[in-house]
Amino acid sequence: MAAVIELTGLTKRYGAAVGIQELDLRVEAGEVFGFLGPNGAGKTTTIRCMVGLLSPTSGTARVLGLDPIADHGRLTPRIGYLPGELRLYGELTGAQHLALLGELQGTPTPRREELCQRLELSGRDLGRPVGEYSHGMKQKVGLVQALQHDPEVVILDEPTEGLDPLVQETFFALVSEASEAGGTVFLSSHVLSEVQRACGRVAIVRSGRLVAVEAVAALREARARRVRLSFPDGYDHGAVPLAAGWSPTWSGNELRLLVPPDELVVALRRLLELPVTDVAVEEAGLDEAFLAFYRQAEAEAEARRPRAPAWGAGLPSDPSEPRR
Amino acid sequence: MRARLALYRLALYRRRRMLVGLTIGMFAFEVLIIVIARTIPPQDMFAGSIRQPPSAFRAFSGSGGAVSLASFPGLLGAGLVHPFWIAMQLTVVGSFGAAAVAADVEAGTIELLMVRPISRARLLAERTAALVTGSVVVTTAATAAVAVGVAATPRLHQAVPLAGVAAAGVLGLGLALCIAGPVLAVSAAGRHRSQVVGATIVFGAVGFAVNFVAQAWSTVHLLRYLSPFHYYTPADAMVSGTVPLGSLAVLLAVFIAGLAAAGWLLARRDLAL
Repeated sequence: MAAVIELTGLTKRYGAAVGIQELDLRVEAGEVFGFLGPNGAGKTTTIRCMVGLLSPTSGTARVLGLDPIADHGRLTPRIGYLPGELRLYGELTGAQHLALLGELQGTPTPRREELCQRLELSGRDLGRPVGEYSHGMKQKVGLVQALQHDPEVVILDEPTEGLDPLVQETFFALVSEASEAGGTVFLSSHVLSEVQRACGRVAIVRSGRLVAVEAVAALREARARRVRLSFPDGYDHGAVPLAAGWSPTWSGNELRLLVPPDELVVALRRLLELPVTDVAVEEAGLDEAFLAFYRQAEAEAEARRPRAPAWGAGLPSDPSEPRR
Repeated sequence: MRARLALYRLALYRRRRMLVGLTIGMFAFEVLIIVIARTIPPQDMFAGSIRQPPSAFRAFSGSGGAVSLASFPGLLGAGLVHPFWIAMQLTVVGSFGAAAVAADVEAGTIELLMVRPISRARLLAERTAALVTGSVVVTTAATAAVAVGVAATPRLHQAVPLAGVAAAGVLGLGLALCIAGPVLAVSAAGRHRSQVVGATIVFGAVGFAVNFVAQAWSTVHLLRYLSPFHYYTPADAMVSGTVPLGSLAVLLAVFIAGLAAAGWLLARRDLAL
């Protein structure tokens, strides 16, 4: 299948600071692809490289087979983009924005009315200056301008920010319809449940590096196990051998851990050699699985530093290498 | 809003109130100068002290030296190099210059505009056209006020031909564009509107000061060639009735060089903070 979005060794530096580093990514036609990471992970930088606002320091970005900067004029009529920090002209009305941006797009805007209706933007709302809008209202205008020309590729940076739950439902329906119609959606978010709901695959970025590219279903499978262990009163917490990637937290005599599934059996064998009075193991939530990826990557970074080996180590040695 | 020249229209639409205010202010100020010229014969202005003002006063009369401040063309020229006139022109240049690129980058609205099939050259061209329009409007207001006053006052008309007023207006536009060129380059590379406004003030104020100092102090007289105000001589244009083409060419050359630099810088920059 042809790649609609293809990033190869994409790197963007701001002086000494690294925005993104050696990002490799491939999104196929018709996919709804999630791009996950906390604030500052490099999501917006990546997206800005994809739409031609930033030029990469090295590596390449290609969207629909075109270079976002060199082929700007040919690419942009075919994409719809919602910025992460949507800024509008406060004195222009919503209707003026949609007209202006639609016309600058240079293509017909057959879906404008339908989108306004579905996102509950009334004529009265659209007639008011956007400076008077709430954040959610502005976000609706942002969604309409991104979709009104029915683009082949939709790139959305934190699209549900500020939307109320009902409008979020409509948004997810729109994403689903775009995919069913053969369009490709690239959706950045820091909310895992949002990605879980809308996307087939997900890339996770951390500190500008790709941590993982997984099918959402696989991510669910890979989610960590939540382990709770109770110890006798007065038991020395320092006597419990723990791996850094398990996110240990103590609450009185109760120890809570997030253990990767492939380490669970070995970990339990070792831990149950201790004077444990109670134990419970359950599947962690998807958000915790997301966090587990981060912690794992951090543990890997720690492991790369030369030092004496710690119990529970043995994770992959190169955090820059994506898990595919 | 029409698709054709949408960025040009947007820039003018967003600054329409400011432009109207400046136009009225400029017109009113020049009317005031005309009223002064009609009521106080300029030859009497220095009668009580000195007949011939110091040479540095040329900087305030808009003459290279041929026209005294104590004359009708000198007085009208003074109205066209007065700090108020300069401040009005700099406001237009600074505001529209910032709007060219830097203001949209700072506000983040550039992300909405430049993910459309709009080349960076088109963005700069339309925004430059808006700046030129703003300068033309304000300069025309000043020139029209002077022209009406001259036409309505025989004593003034005898000393200043209407063609001279028009020539002074053309030169005034040349000065505004001369400052606009480097300002556009700053905007094309800048991230904040304050950088552009600051650059506008520096180019305008430092340019005026350099011309003043060069005329007042013979040791550094060659510095005057570095100031745009050396080439802006509305009083001389009013007397001669023609545009000094050499001076205009210098002013426009700086504008074109600044615009070319702006295009070069804009093509190579990142468009997001």
